[in-house]
Amino acid sequence: MHSFGYRANAVVTFAVTILAVTCAMVSLSDNFNSPSPTADVKVLNINWFQKQPNGNDEVSLTLNISADLSSLFTWNTKQVFVFVAAEYETPQNALNQFTSVTACSFVFVAQVSLWDGIIQSKEHAKFWIHTTNKYRFTDQARDGPFPLYLYDTSLLMYITITSSSIFLLVLAIGNNLRGKDYNMTLHWHIMPKTGKMFADKIVMTGYYLPQDYK
Amino acid sequence: MPTNDFNLFSTPSKRHLGDTFLRYPRSAPAAALRFPISSSSSSSRLFVYAPICNLRLMDWQGQKRAETLMQILLVVFAVAALGIGYTLASFQTMMLIYAGGVVLTALITVPNWPFFNRHHLKWLDPSEAEKHPKPQVNVPTTTKKKSSKNKQ
Repeated sequence: MHSFGYRANAVVTFAVTILAVTCAMVSLSDNFNSPSPTADVKVLNINWFQKQPNGNDEVSLTLNISADLSSLFTWNTKQVFVFVAAEYETPQNALNQFTSVTACSFVFVAQVSLWDGIIQSKEHAKFWIHTTNKYRFTDQARDGPFPLYLYDTSLLMYITITSSSIFLLVLAIGNNLRGKDYNMTLHWHIMPKTGKMFADKIVMTGYYLPQDYK
Repeated sequence: MPTNDFNLFSTPSKRHLGDTFLRYPRSAPAAALRFPISSSSSSSRLFVYAPICNLRLMDWQGQKRAETLMQILLVVFAVAALGIGYTLASFQTMMLIYAGGVVLTALITVPNWPFFNRHHLKWLDPSEAEKHPKPQVNVPTTTKKKSSKNKQ
């Protein structure tokens, strides 16, 4: 503390350290907030349901999304990122149908994001929006060679036998979305001004895709 | 900064301190606000009669006061900012209060105000200092003898 520069340095350093501690306490205060959001997603219409030239199934929906996320906002909230996703299962046990070798079967949950938005203040947190899906609802076809235990249900496997060896040729075709039942989930990420980011979701079940293309 | 070559075990004389200040005038912290030793120039008259900040060092008690004052002020402002920001649910209010607190603390603590110089250092009297001269380092005489032996 013997000189001007020394004291100035001490003040600035201590001030920044205390600022860091204060920000940590602000972030901890977010845990005292118990949010109670509500959300509802209605599929008003399925506009079209087609198979694309590259083999993927694609759906276009008209959605009505209404939600009340105002209880998520605290004094330490900068913005809330919301997105609506459709989730459905894709079972992976094709190999059992064709060979006697038991293969592992994995169940993957595909999550396709249909709409997202950013809410920047508590006043805008209670919203109602009528829109077609912002992003395409496509089931991705897998391409390229895969290990034996990761095939799709709707794969066609061509086994070609030559004189010397057996070749396994696998064609990947996009999973059928026809007649699929899926969940609509509303996810949110609460982005703080300082500290920890919280993320959570609401799952809504009971949505079906039609059996036929239209 | 003027380098004060203190020896912890002997306090230098007041005259000695003035010498270092004169010897390194440019390294004084705000060179324009120099304390004039000879108040002959008219431009420096402005600063002679208003010694708001002493440009020399703080005394020891003052330094301790400055440090504790800084710590207490910063913590108090941080707690106040946190409390007021939380009750008003405004992050911006908290940051503004804290920033104001930091600036105020810097204004109070960093410059060398007079109330940090209440307990002046007791310098040794110049007459007293002359009675106790600085110890001389003994020049070793053995090397001289060796060189004379080699010559022979």
